[in-house]
Amino acid sequence: MRSIAVALAVARKDLTSEWRTRELVPALAQFVVLALVIANFGFQIDARNAPAIAPGVLWMALVFAGLVAFGRAFAAEREQSSLEAMLMTPASPAAIFAGKALAAGLLLVLCEAVLLPALALFFSVPLSFEVVSAVLLATVGMAVLGCLFAAMVARVRARELLLPLLTLPLWIPFIVFGGQAVQVAMGGSGGTGNALGLLIDLDILFVVLTSLTARFVLDD
Amino acid sequence: MTSPNRYEKGAIAAVALMLVAAGFIFLYAPTDALQGPVQRIFYLHVSTAIAAYGCFALVLIGGIAYLWKENAAADRLARAAALVGLVFTTVTLVMGMIWAKPIWGTYWTWDARLTSTLVLWIIYAGYLMIRRLADPGRQAARFAAVVGIFGFIDVPVVHFSVTWWRTQHPGPIVINDALPPQMLIAFFVTMACTLFLAAVMVAIRYRIELLTDQAAEKVVPAPIVAPTKAGSAR
Repeated sequence: MRSIAVALAVARKDLTSEWRTRELVPALAQFVVLALVIANFGFQIDARNAPAIAPGVLWMALVFAGLVAFGRAFAAEREQSSLEAMLMTPASPAAIFAGKALAAGLLLVLCEAVLLPALALFFSVPLSFEVVSAVLLATVGMAVLGCLFAAMVARVRARELLLPLLTLPLWIPFIVFGGQAVQVAMGGSGGTGNALGLLIDLDILFVVLTSLTARFVLDD
Repeated sequence: MTSPNRYEKGAIAAVALMLVAAGFIFLYAPTDALQGPVQRIFYLHVSTAIAAYGCFALVLIGGIAYLWKENAAADRLARAAALVGLVFTTVTLVMGMIWAKPIWGTYWTWDARLTSTLVLWIIYAGYLMIRRLADPGRQAARFAAVVGIFGFIDVPVVHFSVTWWRTQHPGPIVINDALPPQMLIAFFVTMACTLFLAAVMVAIRYRIELLTDQAAEKVVPAPIVAPTKAGSAR
C-alpha cells in the first residue's frame, strides 16, 4: 500500500513538473508528426500503399519518440541530483522507479494521442480498438524497460548513445507482436494468433523482471 | 623456455581437439547427398551456437550471483563468458551466412531465427558496451548483471524460434534422429571439442579479468609532492 502511495506521489511530481514547463509533450508531438512527414518522402506514400506502410511508420515513430521520452525521464533528476535525495527517504527504490516509469509512460501515451489520430488522418487508415489497445499494451512494457535503462545510462558516459543500444533490442518483441496486431487491424496480411494476449504476457514478464532488478539500478 | 602453464596447456589441447573435430568433419562424416560438401558447415555452425548459449547462461548465472552476493568472482565469470559468447555468436552468424548463400541463394533473410540471433549479438555487444562506459567496479557489475538477465530472454527465443514461427531455417534435426549415425558421431565430437574450446577461452579470459582487477587495486596514487630535483619541480 505504502509503495503504491510512493509511486503515485513520484508520478504526480513528474507530471506536475511537466505540466508547469510543458517541454516534453509538445516537443514529442511535433517530433511524431515530423516523423510522418519524413515517412511520406521516404516511402512516396499514395492511397494504394498507405495501409501497408502505416503500421511500420507507426512503430518507428513510436519507438523513437519513446527513446526521447524515456531519455528525458531521468534528465531533471540527474541535473539536480534529486534522485539521491529521493533514495535517502525510507521509500523503496522499486516504488520510486514505478512512479518514474508510470509518469514517463503516461507522457508517451499523450504523445500517442497525437500520433494515432495524425496517422489515421494522413495515411487514411482506420483507428480501431485493436490498434489502440496494441499500442497501449506495448507502451506498458516499453515504459518499464525504457525507464530501467534510462536510469542506468543516466549515470554513465555517452548516455545518449547507450540508451538506444540497450533499449531497442529488448523492445523488439513489443514491435513484433504490436506490429502484427496493427497490421491485421489495418487490413494487411500478417501473423494470425493472439498478438494482444502475447503483448499482455510480455508486459507481465517485463514488469516482474524490472521490479526485481530496479533496486540494483537505482540504489547504487 | 619454461614449461607451459595450465592455461597454455588448455589452449594447446583445445587447438588439438579442434583439429580432431576437423578430421571428423572432413574425413569421417559422409558428404550430404543433396547439399554436397557445404553441408559440412553444419557441424561447427550448430556447435558454436550451443557454445554461445552456454556462455550466455554463464553470464546470466554470474549476474544473478553477483546481484545476490556481491561476489566479484561471479562478475568476472560473467564478463569473461559474455565476450566469448559474443565471439561464438559471430562465428555462428558468419558460418550460417556462408552456408545460406549456396543453399538459399542469399546471405541473409529476415527469418525468425536469423533475426533473433542477430538481436542476441546486439544485446551482448550492448552488455560489453555498458561494462566499458559505466564506472568500473560495483556500478559496471550491477548494470551489466541487469542487462545480462534481460538479455538472456532472447536465448530461448532464438532456440524455439524455429518451432514458434514458420521459418526458412531448418528446425532441430539432431534430437529428431534425422541424421545418419556417422553424421551424428561427427556432430557430437565437434560439439564436445567446441565446448572444450569455449571453456578454455572463458578460463583464460577469466584469468585476464582477474589480473586486470588485481592490477587496478594495486595502483598506488601518485605522490602529491614529487621528489624535487632542480629544474624538474613545477
